[in-house]
Amino acid sequence: MRKTWTAAFLAASLFAADVDTETAKKEEQRECTACHGLRFIHTQRLSKAAWGKELDKMAGWGAEMKDRQLLLDYLSSEYSDTKSIPQAPLSSDGSKVK
Amino acid sequence: MFRPNRRQLLASALGAVAMSAARAQEPVISGKSPMILHNDRPEDLEMPNAYFVEWLTPNDKFFVRQHLPRPEVKAGSFRLAVNGLVAKELALRIEDLRKLPQHKIVATLECTGNGRGFYRPRVPGIQWGRGAIGNAEWSGPCVSDILKLAGANMDAAFLESDGADVGVAKTPDFIRSLPMKKALDPATLLALDMNGEPIPQIHGYPARLIVPGWDGTSWVKWVIRLTVAAEANHGFFMNPGYRYPKFARPPGSPPVPAELEVIEGMRVKSAITKPSEEDQVRLGPLTISGYAWAGEQKILRVEVSVDGGAKWKDAQLTPQNLNYAWRLWKLNWTPPRPGYYTILSRAMDSAGNVQPFVAEWNPSGYLYNAIDRVGITVEKAA
Repeated sequence: MRKTWTAAFLAASLFAADVDTETAKKEEQRECTACHGLRFIHTQRLSKAAWGKELDKMAGWGAEMKDRQLLLDYLSSEYSDTKSIPQAPLSSDGSKVK
Repeated sequence: MFRPNRRQLLASALGAVAMSAARAQEPVISGKSPMILHNDRPEDLEMPNAYFVEWLTPNDKFFVRQHLPRPEVKAGSFRLAVNGLVAKELALRIEDLRKLPQHKIVATLECTGNGRGFYRPRVPGIQWGRGAIGNAEWSGPCVSDILKLAGANMDAAFLESDGADVGVAKTPDFIRSLPMKKALDPATLLALDMNGEPIPQIHGYPARLIVPGWDGTSWVKWVIRLTVAAEANHGFFMNPGYRYPKFARPPGSPPVPAELEVIEGMRVKSAITKPSEEDQVRLGPLTISGYAWAGEQKILRVEVSVDGGAKWKDAQLTPQNLNYAWRLWKLNWTPPRPGYYTILSRAMDSAGNVQPFVAEWNPSGYLYNAIDRVGITVEKAA
């Protein structure tokens, strides 16, 4: 019985986290991409305090955040300084493109 | 060198197909060979290790750093405003700038944050590795000749420069101030050409400030205004942006605003671009290579260690020995036996400065110049 409850709790937690992540991603898309691409964010790994400072800087530069806490939780979870940075990709060859 | 067997060849071919498919989805940057893509809007592109083979970096392989969306400056409508503490305000066309005496200089341009990705604890900003640097021949009029044309007050303290790029929303404009002494240096140019052709749009067409030996932030692109001023600009990109602590503090410490200073000259530095970190090679002769430069100084010497720093050997340097320009270096080496090797490089400049073992951590991750380090595995010969 305990195992069932634990499994149900974990599933519910994961489901809730997914919903939050999806909402946060929409917020991120809405609030950040007017000025720059998301790669700039996703290639960084920072502490929660550092992400907080970045959000404050962006708010000062005109980002209108509906839910700062949601974004902060999302960034500090997905792009935490405890995680490694994946190798950045190469752009496609544009050397002959004018 | 590493000689793959049939299974490895097949895996490699499949990998190449997969990479090619993956790469096809990555953005194409006009005029650019494949570059390490840190950001595509605006473009922030790092030079891959494989391109560090030419003393003059071709334009299509030169790194790109942009703070704001890239402007499209048209030749016909371009005007360079020269104003402030001048006898006569000017609005110069490209033809006017080309009529002035043209000067050439080979100079290395390095992003202030090159190597930021090596700092621990991590700091915000583009996580550059070794490749936010390049070396090119720049040509155009001396900034001092432009200022003379306007009858500028040469005793003024600063020259302010503004590019055509503008911020989105409330993002501040990219404006920089250069001490007049450096602005009047004969090596400081307003370049119109890069490696013998008009500066590509992504690198600042039609006019880019060339400030040899100084950090990339001083090399303003798409310059449309030069203002002679008594004071430095107070905008974000002068303060608090692009400042460095006067006194080092423990890694992770917050900045102390009163102790931050404007960054000027770059520091002595070398980096290893071949082999790359975690390479696996077959037992046999190897060439270790890389770059070294020292801001306003010349590179005198690069030493390489293949045993973690116990012994050092002099690397062979490219012959051009100039202030402001990098030297490429190489060392031929045959590993004595299979195993894991830690390769190090360190440079010394003409003022006697030597690369430190540890770069000073700073809150924005600027001026990384620690002795470089790459680990490789040498496997038994086939």
